[in-house]
Amino acid sequence: MKPKVLLDKVGLWSATVVASTALILGVAPMTAKAVNVPTEVTEDGKNTYKKYCSPCHGEEGKGDGPLARSMLPKPRDFTRGAYKFRTTPSGSLPTDEDIFRTISYGVPNSTMIPWDILTEQQRASVIPVLKSFSEAFGVRKPESPVGVGLEIRPTERTIAEGKKLYEEKLECWKCHGVEGRGDGPSAAEQEDDFGFPIKPFDFTTGKFKGGNSDRDVYLRFTTGLNGTPMPSFAKELTDEQRWCLTHYVMSLIKPEETCK
Amino acid sequence: MKSLSFFIILFSFLGWGIVSSKDILAERNYIEEEVPDGGNVVGNVKYMGDLAMLKLDLYGGWELTDTSKNASEKLIASRINNGLKYAVISITNIAKGKKRLIPKTHPIIDQQRSNFIPHVIAILAGTTIDILNGDEELHTVHTRTIKNQPFNLGTTYKQRISGKFDYPEIVKLSCDIHKYAYAWIVILDNPYFDITDRNGYFEICDIPAGTYKLNVWHEELGNIEKEVTVYPKKITNIEFVYSQN
Repeated sequence: MKPKVLLDKVGLWSATVVASTALILGVAPMTAKAVNVPTEVTEDGKNTYKKYCSPCHGEEGKGDGPLARSMLPKPRDFTRGAYKFRTTPSGSLPTDEDIFRTISYGVPNSTMIPWDILTEQQRASVIPVLKSFSEAFGVRKPESPVGVGLEIRPTERTIAEGKKLYEEKLECWKCHGVEGRGDGPSAAEQEDDFGFPIKPFDFTTGKFKGGNSDRDVYLRFTTGLNGTPMPSFAKELTDEQRWCLTHYVMSLIKPEETCK
Repeated sequence: MKSLSFFIILFSFLGWGIVSSKDILAERNYIEEEVPDGGNVVGNVKYMGDLAMLKLDLYGGWELTDTSKNASEKLIASRINNGLKYAVISITNIAKGKKRLIPKTHPIIDQQRSNFIPHVIAILAGTTIDILNGDEELHTVHTRTIKNQPFNLGTTYKQRISGKFDYPEIVKLSCDIHKYAYAWIVILDNPYFDITDRNGYFEICDIPAGTYKLNVWHEELGNIEKEVTVYPKKITNIEFVYSQN
């Protein structure tokens, strides 16, 4: 073999290895499994919480910090252990990864920003502090995450079926409106577990609070949003029906509205 | 190798079961024993408010949605003897007594014409409740609990949902689509409790002799507490009165 060809081959292989390592390293740290979540409340975690979280969420995690008064949706009250965005079934406590994900990505359409200015270690150190505010974590354990079945490709058929579910079987329009603008007949009277008014989500904006991928929207139907009126349809719909509903809801997004 | 791993998984599950049931038992300090010569407490709960106000039709026949057409079950008192319905009576400070019998057939709460039936249910901790939907439209069942596992599920026609309640708590069960509809689940630690009938009567049986605190809970009128002394094989009468204010 000529030296030049050898160089080419080695170069190609090494480039592949370097690129794939970079990819793996780039993707992996976003889950808490790669980051070490401390089991006990640490001094570092307390300080991070006090500096970055307590202005809104309050010193004791009751969601009553000095900045909370002007906010709607209100900052989460951690004392009930009700977390909206989870991979666990309805009512269950969240896993550490779920909390880490919400801290890292933030919640669009609210005042919770993505806290990527903090290091991963700082973000992870806050998790035991949040858990210590609620007695629920002492009594119950988070259930195992729900399985996301085989994803179905969006087609005209699945969207039509999802529309049927949205309008006839589940009557989602009662809160979310016929066009998905969050203006259904029951929309005005909804309130969350803490007694604050809550608006049904406007799908046309396309800024889904729990993440914009199909999988994220599917998880919201399956797990529900704890602490809000949004129920789980895990027992009501089959796996395929939930994917159809996901595709219909995603088809309600109006690109011209997303720029606002 | 496969069978070995199967056994490991099986035993780990069994171990988990024993540990978790111990956790629950440790929380209650209630000793079960035979009560051969227990006494009974029989009584009446009364509401001395203005009964005419309860049946007043404020809407005067206006067209309303189905849920608000149904009379509210918040405060129901008998016109004959002022007896209060749906008050829960329980003994709060009992250390030992009759067996805690958890019913094998699950108590049922049904949703009919957007209302929960019955409106108040009292159960022993550890009981599973079945929640049905008898309407041809979507309802949600939403509980807000901290110790017990909360849930918020959508249900359609003829759907049956089971929920287990392990810790003493007073739980409000509501439907978010029909805001008027709600029910109460009162979970109690010991088997000495009863719920009043439509004339306000209740009966608690087989209580070991002694002096106990009797607590009445009503969703609108709050709590009343009284002491009662129980004698062996005798019936003790007691009356609770809620005044108007």
